[in-house]
Amino acid sequence: MPRSTTTHPTRLAALLTAAAMFAAACGGSNFDDNEGNDGAATGAENGDAPTDDADGVSLTLMGFSSGTAEDDALNAIIESYSEQSSNTARFNPVPEYDTALQAALAGGSPPDVIYVDSNRLPDLVEAGALAPADGQVENEEDFYESLRGAFTYDGTFWCPPKDFSTLALVYNVDMLDEAGVEPPTDWAELAEAAEALTDGDRAGLVLGAEYPRWGAFMFQAGGSVTDDEFTEMTIDSDENREAFNFLAQLHADGYATTATELDAGWPGEAFGQERAAMTIEGNWIVGALQNDFPDVNWAVAELPVGPAGPGTFVFTVCYAVPAASENQEAAWDLVNYLVSQEALLEFTEQFPVMPGRESLAGDWTDAHPDLGAFLAGADYARPFQFIPGFAGVLDTLNDGIQGIAAGNREADEVLQQVGEAGSPVLGQ
Amino acid sequence: MPTLRDRLATNEKVAGWVFVLPVLIGIGVFLIVPIGMALWMSFTDWNGLSPPGDAQNVGLDNYRDLLSEPGVPRLDFAMSIRNNLYYVLGVVPAQTAIAFVLAVVVNQKFLRGKAFFRTAYYFPSITSSIAISIVFLFLFQRSGAINQTISALMPGDDFRLNWLDNAEGVLHNVLGAVGVDSAPGFLADNDIMGLSLWQWLSGPSVTMFAIMMLATWTTIGTMMLIFLAGLQNIPADVEEASRVDGATALQRFRLVTIPMMKQPMFFVLTIGLIGTWQVFDQIFVISSGGPQKTTLTPAYLIYREGFQNFSMGRATAIAFLLFVLIMVLTLVQRRILRPDRD
Repeated sequence: MPRSTTTHPTRLAALLTAAAMFAAACGGSNFDDNEGNDGAATGAENGDAPTDDADGVSLTLMGFSSGTAEDDALNAIIESYSEQSSNTARFNPVPEYDTALQAALAGGSPPDVIYVDSNRLPDLVEAGALAPADGQVENEEDFYESLRGAFTYDGTFWCPPKDFSTLALVYNVDMLDEAGVEPPTDWAELAEAAEALTDGDRAGLVLGAEYPRWGAFMFQAGGSVTDDEFTEMTIDSDENREAFNFLAQLHADGYATTATELDAGWPGEAFGQERAAMTIEGNWIVGALQNDFPDVNWAVAELPVGPAGPGTFVFTVCYAVPAASENQEAAWDLVNYLVSQEALLEFTEQFPVMPGRESLAGDWTDAHPDLGAFLAGADYARPFQFIPGFAGVLDTLNDGIQGIAAGNREADEVLQQVGEAGSPVLGQ
Repeated sequence: MPTLRDRLATNEKVAGWVFVLPVLIGIGVFLIVPIGMALWMSFTDWNGLSPPGDAQNVGLDNYRDLLSEPGVPRLDFAMSIRNNLYYVLGVVPAQTAIAFVLAVVVNQKFLRGKAFFRTAYYFPSITSSIAISIVFLFLFQRSGAINQTISALMPGDDFRLNWLDNAEGVLHNVLGAVGVDSAPGFLADNDIMGLSLWQWLSGPSVTMFAIMMLATWTTIGTMMLIFLAGLQNIPADVEEASRVDGATALQRFRLVTIPMMKQPMFFVLTIGLIGTWQVFDQIFVISSGGPQKTTLTPAYLIYREGFQNFSMGRATAIAFLLFVLIMVLTLVQRRILRPDRD
């Protein structure tokens, strides 16, 4: 294809290296300026008091856009920070965030504060890209343990969560009423409900065929991909086999299906178009349903409990300070403002994402009484996180899950293949 | 003592260098140096996050992981080669043949509305491939226009193929239809780069097949234009001479037109071959390498490894392997189809 010449691999690499070289050259000159700040940063014990210097610094927060309304709310919070501080801050949402962040970090002069997704954290830490948050964040213990865990790597706490989401069961109230089905609370009920709700072209359950959805069932069965320390593959286990076989059966019977089978781009869309009665998604589905499908009568329940108990995923993004940021002290000052109780509450009260501070749970539930199931998951949720270099193994797992959902792969064979693919990555 | 002639020649030499200098600098900075840097990177473990200077030299490890070391990277690379090979084998002949036929048709002197047809056929080539890919996403949905058309043509049969999420190999399906639905022993037992021969012989997946149709449709316009230019370059007297010699229309086409089109044919095949080995944007928009890695191509793998999996060293190694592959194939093709110089 002639039109694809823009992606000529050598040219791609060329562009990349040129950009990196250029940025590296610029970064070099900034390095000297850091010396003075280092001493100052260690002096600030709790980092709360903004420096009263007349000449504050101007800070940039680089992130991705979460929609116009969210961006406006964040901008308002940042504006109020700039008013009460001698520093000025600016939110810079960029498209293709991961790529932009990569270029900024490799260049050596990154923005002062960045978003870091919990599943990207290990890569960034291993690359030495982040400055640790140890001792820099006020009232650190107030954050949920599962969230602190998600942003702790190598025994160090790196960054406080901006907000978080968990997976829950979203169901169509009218369809359940019509079929006389209660929201399922365990696997057996889930299977029964999915069967009762499947009707012609309508699926009982629409479920993304990928680890960040199927993994919740692995947790519920007591399984996992690796051990907690990432030293050993534990995927080829009876627990995981049970979880995968349960889901494989739902798919084989036609009670569960994927979004593309229902002509939708993602499960939330299929659910909103009422082509499925139930789905398993995170808090982000709330905004999508409110905006695009306001007429659907839906509700949220905690994920059904499996043989080994409850299990779900937590997805979260933190405010991190790059190690190469020139204004470490001021950057942590901004981060502390952004994750202060007032700012977190102001932001999450308006939107369905949840504040990471446990002390705000009551306020958030008051603001979103019908979304309690998402918050309940925070107690037992696990992050979607592995070690650097593991992405290829996850691709293999996702590939297998797609095959099981489509009915052309066997759970046994997939679990064994992923186990073998992962062992060398974990150094076995 | 330099003569006037020598001095002029020297001045001309200097002037020549001065005039080409801006381009040389541009090519050097934006092409030669980056390619050199990328080559160096392919021997490091650079993650794309830390400054490139921090990267460790790992020698040939990246290439070994891709070519000889059993594991996920080699299997992914093998799959991407297989997928793209079928893509090339399907798209290049199809786009060349269809474009040639279209060029001959719109070159007919008696054809009415010639300008309309030429514009219509060229239109896909000037439209953004992203926009076209999104339109195809809708066309190939389960309830999309393609399935509905097929259903209408086959009464009583509700055709609901999920084109864009179907990992079944087309050749496997054909073999399945004649009763071969599992691998014969020697195909299952032997493998190349970790992928069994049976897997190598899968053919493009249904999803890849849909993307191949899209690619063919978008490129035939450009190829048609090249053929059209070639057709109009055939001197009228050659055709007249053959007419006088009593050649029929079919003979004229076979013995005059086709031989005279050898050079455009070579050109079209070459850019087709190079372009199809670099397919990326349609994959990025439509399938992201899925389902089950059956639309993974080397170019998409470069993106995935470099920008999503933080293995920039491996990504550049793939880029160079792809470069070598394209180079070798183009040279082979040139050897076979060398256009006559006279």
